[in-house]
Amino acid sequence: MTPTSSRSTPSGCGCGGLSLSGVAVRYRAFTAVRDVNLEIPDCGITALVGPSGCGKSSLLHAMNRLTDLIPGCRVEGSVRDGAGTELTDPVLDVLALRRRIGMVFQKPNPFPHSIRRNFEIPLREHGLPRALIAEKTEQSLREVGLWEEVSSRLDESAMKLSGGQQQRLCIARALALDPEVILFDEPCSALDPMAAAVVEEHIAALRGRVTVVIVTHNLAQARRIADRVGVFWIRNGAGTIVEEGAVEEVFESAGDADARRYLAGVWG
Amino acid sequence: MAHPVSPRPRRPGDLALGFAGALACAITLVVLGWILWDLVKLGLPHLSWSFLTGEVSGGGRSGGIGPVLVSTVMILAFALVFAIPPGVGCAVWLSEMVRQGSRPARVITGAVDLLASVPSIVFGLFGMSFFCQVLGLGFSILSGGLTLACMILPLLVRTTLSALQSLPADLRPAAAALGLTGTTTIAKILLPAALPGILVGITLGVGRALAETAALIFTSGYATRWPDSPADSGRALSVHIYDLAMNIPNGSAAASASALVLLVLIFLINAAVATLAARWQRRHLST
Repeated sequence: MTPTSSRSTPSGCGCGGLSLSGVAVRYRAFTAVRDVNLEIPDCGITALVGPSGCGKSSLLHAMNRLTDLIPGCRVEGSVRDGAGTELTDPVLDVLALRRRIGMVFQKPNPFPHSIRRNFEIPLREHGLPRALIAEKTEQSLREVGLWEEVSSRLDESAMKLSGGQQQRLCIARALALDPEVILFDEPCSALDPMAAAVVEEHIAALRGRVTVVIVTHNLAQARRIADRVGVFWIRNGAGTIVEEGAVEEVFESAGDADARRYLAGVWG
Repeated sequence: MAHPVSPRPRRPGDLALGFAGALACAITLVVLGWILWDLVKLGLPHLSWSFLTGEVSGGGRSGGIGPVLVSTVMILAFALVFAIPPGVGCAVWLSEMVRQGSRPARVITGAVDLLASVPSIVFGLFGMSFFCQVLGLGFSILSGGLTLACMILPLLVRTTLSALQSLPADLRPAAAALGLTGTTTIAKILLPAALPGILVGITLGVGRALAETAALIFTSGYATRWPDSPADSGRALSVHIYDLAMNIPNGSAAASASALVLLVLIFLINAAVATLAARWQRRHLST
């Protein structure tokens, strides 16, 4: 796969992007992220890169309000979806929000139940009629290329799958809810290179299907799959985006000196 | 578990330690063997189908233990029915609904541990005054079951709590990211995954409940007739053994036979639960 092939800015598929302005994430007195302004385009792949501890994951968790689960964590500023709804609104139905904005974590986290139950539980929760669950499960597993591998053992434990298969199952499980956005938090970094390549391929294939935001430490990966990239750096004691734009522009000619050196591999 | 590649002990100190360890194991085996041999030698000749199903006569010297077995199973059933829901509920609350180390969590955990250390005779006195007298249940199978439920409650809380806490921490964010409610997460994901651990707690609770004598003498009483309802007094197997051994002259053969039945009963329940847990684990949790 060459970095630039088949990469036109995707035409909006109606999933809706995200629009962040002046976002800060604080853990009690500690400010992890400050002053983030970012437009995440509809149905594209946006990569967030930067050194560890810059608040990339914190920002990602703020986008579907998983930050609500962390005691003492506060999100300030504005996160709006494609329709202009303010997602930081405290009275927003966060369960419905998380159905629309899913997440795949660094470590694969299938439920320790059968492969089938991994789909049944969330699909039932969101009201899909029982008769449609099998079909939706198959469709989602096909989207991540897992159907052929597991179709004969849907009633076996998901924990028996390999790490890469587990991660693809988690992607399929997120896709099954027909989300508008999927947030990926370093989805390949706990996998061996072969499995990582397969997972990456399936994430790349989501372009035009859902809006993807991916945090990654793998700059080559960001360059391969992303349309746009945001570079995080520490400024005044908190993480923020110091460079943002179309992936080739940022990699070729970043304006920020730190970002330029980081992307060139001088650091890291 | 022995490390597979550890060198065999060769130096004198190692040899001595190895010998001491082997001796300690031998003592354990001898104790178990002795108990079993004693029970089998004295009790087995006394065992028969009519002993298991027959009425108690002559204070237990003759006849069987039919009514006692029925009362025992009823008391145990009530103890489990009354202990499991609050035990599991309390553990779920401690594990999933309050922050670890917060004041309410510390207070409740402390109370549970305190309750676990209360001697069974004290539970017996409490059961007699509260269930038998204040609630007016009298000497009954229900009173005995409720008293035992109080006694095994802390055990169930502790084992369920540790089962829940040993689940992978990332299951909770995984569930939250799929928009699942807390109730769904607990009922459909966490509790089923913790079930093998909960079953271990129930096994331990069954063992303690069946072994209990002191708490039952004051609460379920020692009537040896067939119980008609949970409101009847009923003698538990352990109480029966105690009575035969202490109060009935020439009761020791029947006591040994009853003890053998009790051991087999505990063994069967343990085996059933272990099989259930293993099957569940194989099907859902194996890695």
